[in-house]
Amino acid sequence: MNRLPRFPTQRIDRSRRLGFRWCGRPVEGFEGDTVASALWAAGVRTLGRSFEYHRPRGLYDLDGEGSSQLVSIDGVPNQSAGTTPLREGMAVAAQNVRGDPRFDVFGILDRMDRLMPAGFYYRLFHRPAWAARFFQERMRRLAGLGVLRRDVPARAESTERYLNADVAVVGAGPAGVSAALAAGRLGLRVCLFERRPWLGGHLDWRVREGRPLADEMAEAIGQLGRMASVRVFRHAPVTGIWGENLLTGFQLGAAGGATDGGGATDGTGGGGAGRGAADEGAAGGGGAEAPSDETHWECRAQAIVVATGSIERPLVFEHNDRPGVMQVDTAIRLARSYGVRPGRRVVFSVGDDLGLEAAIDLASLGIDVRAVADARRNGHDEALVAALAAADIDFRPGWTASRVYGRGRVRAVELAARTRSRPPTSQPTGATRDAVRDPGSLGDSGSLGDSGSLGDAGSMRVACDLLVASAGRQPDIGVLSCAGARFRHGGHTRTFELERLPPDVFAAGGLLRLTDIEALRRSGRVAGLEAAAACGVDVAERLARARAALADRPGPARGSSIVRGPVANPRLAPGRKAFLDFDEDGTWKNAAQSAAMGFDVPELAKRFGNFGLGPGQYRVPGQNLAMAMAEIAGRPVEEFAATTVRPPVIPPSLGTLAGPNHDIHKRTPLHDEQAARGAVFRRAGPWKRARYFSDDRRCLDEIRNVRRNVGLLDSSPLGKFRLWGPDAMRALQRVYISDMTRARRGRCLYSAMCNDTGNIIDDGVVVRTGDDEFYLTTSSNRAGSTVEWVRFHTRYDGWEYNLVNLTDALASINVAGPNARRVVERITSADLSNEAFPYLGYREIEVGDGVAARCLRLGFVGELSYELHVDASHARYVWDLLLEAGAEFGIQPFGLEAQNCLRAEKGHVIIGTESEQRVTLLDIGMGWLWDREDTASGKVGAAALRACEKQRGRLKLVGLRIDGAGLRGDGGRDPEDGAVVVDGDRIAGFVCTTRFSETLGWRYALALVEDRLAKRGGTLDLYESHGRRALRWRATVVSPHFYDPSGERLRDAAPGPAATPGATAAAPSVRRRASEAPPARRRSPVRLDAAPARTEDRAGWNVVLDYEPDRADANGPAPASLIDLSHRARWDVQGRDIQTVRPFGLDVPPSPGDVTVAAGIMINRMNGTQAALWHVGPGTPPPPPTGPHYTDTTDAHGWLAIIGEAAPAVLESVTALDLFDPARARPFLTQGPILHVPCQIVTWRDDAVLFAFARGYGQTFVEALLASARHEGLRPAGERVFTDWVRARKT
Amino acid sequence: MTFRLTCPVCGKRDVYEFTYGGPERGPRPAEPESAADGGAAAGEAHFRWAQFRMNRLEAHEEWWYHREGCGVWFSTRRNPATNREEPGGADETDAGDTGSGADGRGTSGAGAGGAA
Repeated sequence: MNRLPRFPTQRIDRSRRLGFRWCGRPVEGFEGDTVASALWAAGVRTLGRSFEYHRPRGLYDLDGEGSSQLVSIDGVPNQSAGTTPLREGMAVAAQNVRGDPRFDVFGILDRMDRLMPAGFYYRLFHRPAWAARFFQERMRRLAGLGVLRRDVPARAESTERYLNADVAVVGAGPAGVSAALAAGRLGLRVCLFERRPWLGGHLDWRVREGRPLADEMAEAIGQLGRMASVRVFRHAPVTGIWGENLLTGFQLGAAGGATDGGGATDGTGGGGAGRGAADEGAAGGGGAEAPSDETHWECRAQAIVVATGSIERPLVFEHNDRPGVMQVDTAIRLARSYGVRPGRRVVFSVGDDLGLEAAIDLASLGIDVRAVADARRNGHDEALVAALAAADIDFRPGWTASRVYGRGRVRAVELAARTRSRPPTSQPTGATRDAVRDPGSLGDSGSLGDSGSLGDAGSMRVACDLLVASAGRQPDIGVLSCAGARFRHGGHTRTFELERLPPDVFAAGGLLRLTDIEALRRSGRVAGLEAAAACGVDVAERLARARAALADRPGPARGSSIVRGPVANPRLAPGRKAFLDFDEDGTWKNAAQSAAMGFDVPELAKRFGNFGLGPGQYRVPGQNLAMAMAEIAGRPVEEFAATTVRPPVIPPSLGTLAGPNHDIHKRTPLHDEQAARGAVFRRAGPWKRARYFSDDRRCLDEIRNVRRNVGLLDSSPLGKFRLWGPDAMRALQRVYISDMTRARRGRCLYSAMCNDTGNIIDDGVVVRTGDDEFYLTTSSNRAGSTVEWVRFHTRYDGWEYNLVNLTDALASINVAGPNARRVVERITSADLSNEAFPYLGYREIEVGDGVAARCLRLGFVGELSYELHVDASHARYVWDLLLEAGAEFGIQPFGLEAQNCLRAEKGHVIIGTESEQRVTLLDIGMGWLWDREDTASGKVGAAALRACEKQRGRLKLVGLRIDGAGLRGDGGRDPEDGAVVVDGDRIAGFVCTTRFSETLGWRYALALVEDRLAKRGGTLDLYESHGRRALRWRATVVSPHFYDPSGERLRDAAPGPAATPGATAAAPSVRRRASEAPPARRRSPVRLDAAPARTEDRAGWNVVLDYEPDRADANGPAPASLIDLSHRARWDVQGRDIQTVRPFGLDVPPSPGDVTVAAGIMINRMNGTQAALWHVGPGTPPPPPTGPHYTDTTDAHGWLAIIGEAAPAVLESVTALDLFDPARARPFLTQGPILHVPCQIVTWRDDAVLFAFARGYGQTFVEALLASARHEGLRPAGERVFTDWVRARKT
Repeated sequence: MTFRLTCPVCGKRDVYEFTYGGPERGPRPAEPESAADGGAAAGEAHFRWAQFRMNRLEAHEEWWYHREGCGVWFSTRRNPATNREEPGGADETDAGDTGSGADGRGTSGAGAGGAA
């Protein structure tokens, strides 16, 4: 066994053995191991094969710094062995390997590197043309890393978490913990992110003179755990920092809060105590989760402290990638954290004191340390040198490794003395220049920089099985670089030092090359206080003291500038196998080749030679690349910038980035009814709408039924608005192109809106419903932007008008066809005769059991029709009444496609189908709408219409008749929507809509064509290209009003065709009296997936008081309950005088965001002129308030409550809004998106949040909420949970 | 691209909650009294106002609508080079005509809950 004796720093639990498989072979590890440490302990040295040359690669680092340690786990490729906790039964396999990783067939590629110089895929294998594809296919098979397996199912769940913080701290080493403490003590909300499963950074494993340095952190970590305002996230790597301090990252292990400190005392784990067992919080308690259990998180912070510390800079020498060459930290962590013997005979080649300390520490564990080479000639910590001498270790200052012997594992190392380096400021020597001209001969003489060549000083070969190699340490700049920090190579630290920080971002600790432990802490404290200052806390005095204290400690450590070990014979070792980049096999030679071909700065070499494009990015190749390019060019490194780091700094799985992928859309209140009748739904804007009701995509039956009989269309997405106020007419005059003063009571005034270019953007009707009050409809597409549009175009005028969007509040059912009147008459006592209710009439009637309906007599489909706008909750009731009343006529629902054919036959346009960006109101033949006399209202679009009125060459809307006769090369096909109109060889327009009309007996089209072709009776050609075939059709220009051009059918002026045989046209229509109708029922937009246990009938609503308990919550109430309150009454109150309106005798809170609760009514002040009234009381709702200020919006919204202690966790997983800001007094209002659905949200208390949203989203929104927050324990519940909570709150 | 805007009602919010209303360019120029005395000059003035954008890479006033929030139009001064808002100052509108802009604020139609 390769395990060392127990020691307090170890994180493995030797009492819990975990069996797993490596390439099919059974192996064993312990609880607390990572995959990498268990494999190393099991004697596995080759973890996989490299990307290009198929070289054996082993364990180089434990933090996922490169691709060497990527393995496939349970069929999921490219998992990081070094960071993935070991689980029982894992199937781990090597990548890019045929057969056993030790004897890979394609290892031969390693000898073919001369065929693959830098950038070879840009330059070679491209000629002749067929060769490119030939070689591409073969190379793709040979190169690469993991293989994506289709038979391995994707992760079922993906969770998200959105955090809000004052200060975010990245990295929980001594500096990060101090920064978090400093900010947390000031009461600021702090989020601390640590990529490893424990806190403490490098102090976690370091041992000095037999004493674990972790002890020094224990107290601070304990304090952190007791701080309620500090949340600690372990195993949570940061992937990037984006604009205005948005951090993104992911968390491995348990979804949700398992590793979240959240003020919990045990949340922080780590520290000196509790070793031996797996750290409690690490990976969520171990063992339970699949490796792909990742939570995506985003954190918006006011200020950020980056304390990512330092990482090792690899030393480059021949065969530096062999299994058995590893970083200093890797060797020491194997021994100290996992109790694994890293090797039996070890050689060190290091560049700083930490390396010496590690050598001494390993020797103290009884490991045979054969030799320690240190690239530095002087400046060592004398105590460490003495300790090396005391341990009788061969210590060689000024020496480094220069070559490794052995293939599958290290067998010996060549150490060599460095010659005195040339100053890097020298100009290229003659030899270098020659070499640059001839890259093939480029030997080591081309790199005369710091490495120098082997002189007389000597070299030695040492047999060993482990080489611990490092050039020194470099700051871990990744996250900071993403944030926009700039770096510059510094002479003292010999690393890329911080030059400039982005606003509100601060750096601390090892990132600044501090090494003294107390200095790390103090620098963290300084950064924490700086961050607090950026949050507006006055800490000037403390900050001054902290800075002074930091100045007392040693500053940044001096670094080593070596990149590449000395080379004995440049001819034998021109850098062919000295790797700068392990991910894509980028060698020193490749870098020299890149430079020779002109790609001589790091950013160019990075792309041409593929350095740092892999997961290693700025780590393994990063700073070495810049230093190597400087050395190759013989220029000072200060002239070279490090390559840019790009997110993700640490890669999450793609599934984590993809997220839960909810399909949230709006459904009409008649969705289920239509689905039951076989509707095929299609997405239309935010809605899903019924497009077909049969497999016949031509919808002939649906069309026939409307033309000859009667059909039923759910047109609920139609935009519907209430507009009122003293300046309402002025607003109408501004946005509509017609003279809106003609709007009358009981009459629909059809008009259109244009934009400033004169394009028609919307059409609809306006009805006057009061002196200063109007009801308007817009097209479905525009419903969401009408309020925005009207407000925008009146924003300078200061007019007083109010607008409420009733689109979702009212369902719209269109009864159309010659029998429409007979059907509607049966459900109402209103007089529907032509005389009492003519075409374009508007009546407010009652249907069925006294259900209020706005009835509009319009005719979009070209037949007699009645459009009924009823409360959305009543929609099913009215729909069922109509179906029942129309049964004897054979009434059938029809879908959007049938409507599209019907309206196109009639020549009615759809904005966006028969119009586009170039098309004005005049172009589509609707200029008659324009009130050209009105110049005073400032009508939007009028100026443009005037200017382009006489313009020539514009596209005009025409009707086309496409006859079978005279076709040329049509291939037996019909033209499609979008076919091009051609005039000879020129494009002269396009077809908007074309269908074959059964009614007409021929194929028609609505098309936009250049004006000279728009003359009636002319002919033109349609053209389509299908691959190589070009099809043409001949068409004749006709009036676009193909069907019933005089409009007799709309007006019902002509006798309709005979009704269907089932119904006798002569049958006297039977009027249904209210008393005969079934009682009106209302329905919520939300149906929860649970079995109701207790319900109550309340004013037509079926209110569920309790559901049968969920089996998951047998042990008590759910941590969070989701309650549908959509049946509860709500009103909108609006007006400039809102402060003087006293709904129910209550005051409206004075400023937006304020909420008051009194007498069972919650009043949410939304903005300067608007508030919402919600009935939250346990009793019955008060009678509706009367007056123009109020609009009943009960049916405009879905309304939900989340009650329970897990409410914050639930909401954190679905919205980035700061709903629990401790600085705000509860209750308060937030208006913003939850799962991208705009909501009005009231944080009543931390365990009760209410939110309302557009009704149409109801069902899919609730499903998405429950799916997203299932892991937080969110379960459906009945209204009783809400009323109980309200009652309890009162007492 | 992630930046935030300060809504006068809701405070700092993610830019994805807003729709852009273009740079501040003042109210629409008045139309001539009748078609007769309009002509080319009025057309030209209208097109300059409606179509011309200077796209200067410096802080300037812009209009934004809090679509997914309170439903209020507001103007804010933003530097497109940094995407950060900057404190106000004397500012030229793109049309050369300075509008007060204040009247549009705080008056709104349906808010988030009612937005379609």
